[in-house]
Amino acid sequence: MTNQTFSTWGSWVPGRGQVPPDTLPVEFSPGRPLKAFMGWDGLFVHDESANLVAMVSAYMEQARKESCGQCFPCRLGTEKICGILEKIGAGGGDPEDLHRMEALARTMMNMARCDIGQTTPRPLLDILAHRREALLEVMEKGEPIPRGNYVMKVTAPCTNACPSHLNIPDYVEKIRFGRWDDALVTIRRDCCLPGVIGRVCTRPCEFNCRRQRVDVGIAIRALKRYAADRELETHAEPPLQAGPAKDRKVAIVGAGPAGLACAYHLGLAGYRSTLFEALDEPGGMAAVGIPHYRLPRFILRGEASHAEKLGAEIRYGVRVGVDITVDDLIREGYAAVFVGVGATESAKMRCEGEDAGYQCFMTGIEFLRRVSRNERPMEGKKLLVIGGGNVAMDCVRSALRMGFEDVNLIYRRTQAEMPADPQEIREAQQEGVKFHYLVAPVKIIASEGKVTGLECEKMELGAPDASGRRQPVPVKGSNFVIPCDAIVPAIGQTCVVDCVLPSEEVDISRWKTLVVDEITGQTRQPWIFAGGDCVTGPATLIGALAAGKNAARFIAQYLETGACAPSDGDWLEKLIAKLGIFYFKEKMPFQDTTMKLHRSVLPPEERIKNFEEVEAGVKPAQAVKEAARCLRCFRIALAAV
Amino acid sequence: MSKFSMNGREISFEAGRTILQVATEHSVEIPTLCHLQDADHAQVCRICVVEVAGSDRLLPACATPANEGMEIHTDTLRVREARKTVLEMLVASGQHTCFAWNRPRETWSEAHRRSAQRPWHDRNCPADGECRLQELIVEYGVDTEHLVPQDMDFPLDDDTPLMVRDFSRCILCGRCVAACNVVQVNEAIPQPFGRREDKPLPRGWFPLADYERCVHCGECVQACPVGALFEKKAFGLIGPGEGDRIRTTCPYCGVGCQMWLHVKDGRVLKVTGVEGAVPNEGRLCVKGRFGYDFIHAPDRLTVPLVRENGVLREAGWEEALELVAERFLRLREAHGGDCLGGLSSARVTNEENYLMQKLVRAGFGTNNIDHCARL
Repeated sequence: MTNQTFSTWGSWVPGRGQVPPDTLPVEFSPGRPLKAFMGWDGLFVHDESANLVAMVSAYMEQARKESCGQCFPCRLGTEKICGILEKIGAGGGDPEDLHRMEALARTMMNMARCDIGQTTPRPLLDILAHRREALLEVMEKGEPIPRGNYVMKVTAPCTNACPSHLNIPDYVEKIRFGRWDDALVTIRRDCCLPGVIGRVCTRPCEFNCRRQRVDVGIAIRALKRYAADRELETHAEPPLQAGPAKDRKVAIVGAGPAGLACAYHLGLAGYRSTLFEALDEPGGMAAVGIPHYRLPRFILRGEASHAEKLGAEIRYGVRVGVDITVDDLIREGYAAVFVGVGATESAKMRCEGEDAGYQCFMTGIEFLRRVSRNERPMEGKKLLVIGGGNVAMDCVRSALRMGFEDVNLIYRRTQAEMPADPQEIREAQQEGVKFHYLVAPVKIIASEGKVTGLECEKMELGAPDASGRRQPVPVKGSNFVIPCDAIVPAIGQTCVVDCVLPSEEVDISRWKTLVVDEITGQTRQPWIFAGGDCVTGPATLIGALAAGKNAARFIAQYLETGACAPSDGDWLEKLIAKLGIFYFKEKMPFQDTTMKLHRSVLPPEERIKNFEEVEAGVKPAQAVKEAARCLRCFRIALAAV
Repeated sequence: MSKFSMNGREISFEAGRTILQVATEHSVEIPTLCHLQDADHAQVCRICVVEVAGSDRLLPACATPANEGMEIHTDTLRVREARKTVLEMLVASGQHTCFAWNRPRETWSEAHRRSAQRPWHDRNCPADGECRLQELIVEYGVDTEHLVPQDMDFPLDDDTPLMVRDFSRCILCGRCVAACNVVQVNEAIPQPFGRREDKPLPRGWFPLADYERCVHCGECVQACPVGALFEKKAFGLIGPGEGDRIRTTCPYCGVGCQMWLHVKDGRVLKVTGVEGAVPNEGRLCVKGRFGYDFIHAPDRLTVPLVRENGVLREAGWEEALELVAERFLRLREAHGGDCLGGLSSARVTNEENYLMQKLVRAGFGTNNIDHCARL
């Protein structure tokens, strides 16, 4: 055994360039060295005891299984190559086979339709080019080689970017085949709210879609919504099958996305759960924080009920920490607790007068909560909303629908730095919201305890801060007053986890979030798990769903074995993310000219009259056409540990 | 207009077209196997790959958009070798025995003899001589002398009266699937593709038909580029280049589908749609494609018959028409025109139908006229 490192990693993707071997990960998981790795961009070896022949046989066998049968080079090539590798591994084969294999691998790589065929021959070709002696040695000995046990994962840039790792190319292909029902089965494996996520996801997948390198990315979110909508339109019963019933129960704090996902996936595994929800409505922040014109209530209620169909019970109006404590839950016989409370408190602006309790001053979260109950939150005609995120967008757009005539948004940087979804910004602008950039609040002006205006100062952009965005700097002496009837700050949320769980039992960060194991979601108390905004701080819906799903898996593991630990698959996933899977500078061989999927939306003057859903779903023919644009960038990774 | 070079020749094209479309318009031949233009079906066989400067990979002409300034070569050694490698694997993956059938039996291997024991394999493949795969194998010089038919438990579907689906010769090109689902929209051949692990053999990826939905139109048979799908009635009766092909209009209904009658020794043995002709663009329905037995049916009426004392006897047209006219006139005189009526047929031409209603309305003096296609 030598310590010599051999690497071809980074030599295949055009426009990328080889990765310096000393920057490649050497550890598979803490304390476990990575012997060798094989994937879509070559291979690297840290430990020469790794059996490359056995590795590449296992790798090609996985490629054979993934081959979809559509294009001839991959369907036939994987079969033939696996046949030859099997022969060599069994102690047969001759040098002529290596030439044959090389030709087959090149044919596959040069001609296959998708990346299963285009990328999987790469490690084999690398071995044939640089480690041919490994194959010759096996053939010379003529003895069967042992089958190695390797960690493998099939993923894709979009899948990898998604916090819940949905198998996107797979369900997109099913939609292409007209099988929205099969697509939904795939989606539901990792996402229990397809109609919700299909409407309001922040869609990291689309920003990691390789098709962007050819023309425009795939409208993945719209396709997911299409599948969910088809199920509703056809009145199909979702195929939900609870696992064989187990006798231990799990308590879940909060019926928001994280809690619902945890209950759903526990239900699939056969565990019953009880969700304790402070509101009288399922969905948590998705219910009271997202206006109905983006997410109709019946969609959320309908999909939340799937967790109940799998054996979960939701108790509304129960505030854990006030009405009942976590210790009470354990005493009541729950074997584990999942904490999935959201970030429900508004962050402070540090602006004079915000704590004075003026009339017509209300936080964005409270504003949206009242809007979700169809109440007009405040009187007045001219409203100021402060902030540049999605909550601010939801506030201004809801305000128009609630009868405010002059809706203004002030943001201390410019549109380029706004964290809100560009589509949201565009739609708010179309609806007539006035945007004021480079303006920051200084003081709330009130008369007789009621808001009458906001003193602001102008800003200019300075040097970039830690987040990479340029820091706004006040312009001295630029103060001015914007008269208004009401003010809504929407500059961020904070968590309230300390009132749910006493801090002596679990670790709480200085942002008042729970400290948990990054992968398993387990806290210092082995029976308490957590996920969602209360761990990450205010984040995305899909992130919360992923946390709930993962926690369900580890809770089940904890209940069955008394302990839980990340699997090798989890570690490989992290390793893949570390290596990077989407190369923004990849050079594609040609440019296509397909157009972005056309979505019909209600005209702005119509949609501000009510809370009707703004965006329409796509039609079957559109969905099939859009799905056909997927490049199927499947990536297979194999690690020898 | 944009421009690119193809095989060293400058070609202008309109944006939004594929390399294959531009090549076809300029008479540059790029071989295809799976491509079915009507159904937008492409990208499966990869036989149409071409070399494009700047791309490490070979690109399928059928699906690659023509880009300004591309430098394309359609027939280089690299392209030919790549196509040949795929064809070699393809022809070895099924029971493509035509090359052996064209050799003396003594030269056959044991596998060939076993293959001939299978149902429908007791004679040469029904596609022999008009098979797209066979043409390509010959063109690319694939070695067929050492070709051994794949021995496997291939599915066979020959229970229905009109078509045979012999998957031992299926190349999984997906043309029948597209023809059924996209061209005819019967959706009777479910999409068979998916992860290999999820599609266990023997069914595997074979495009099996769902007879709950099948209307036996035979579009799949016409789309099959090899001998996997063929017509049961015509099996073994007519080979390629045998007999005559006569173009005609389908007599069954008013659409006027264009069809080829495959005629040998004065008998119609097979019917196929005329590709590229209006109105049907190659498509036919079950009646047009398979309903030709009446032509040579022994009980077909070929001369007028007159019933005398309860017995039918052959008569001349003159006599028969006179008899009918005389009786009709008598009935009209006795009971008025409304005692008569006419039922016309979709089997006759538009003009003949016009004359029929004219006869009934003006001749009989009634509006009692209808048509079988409306019933």
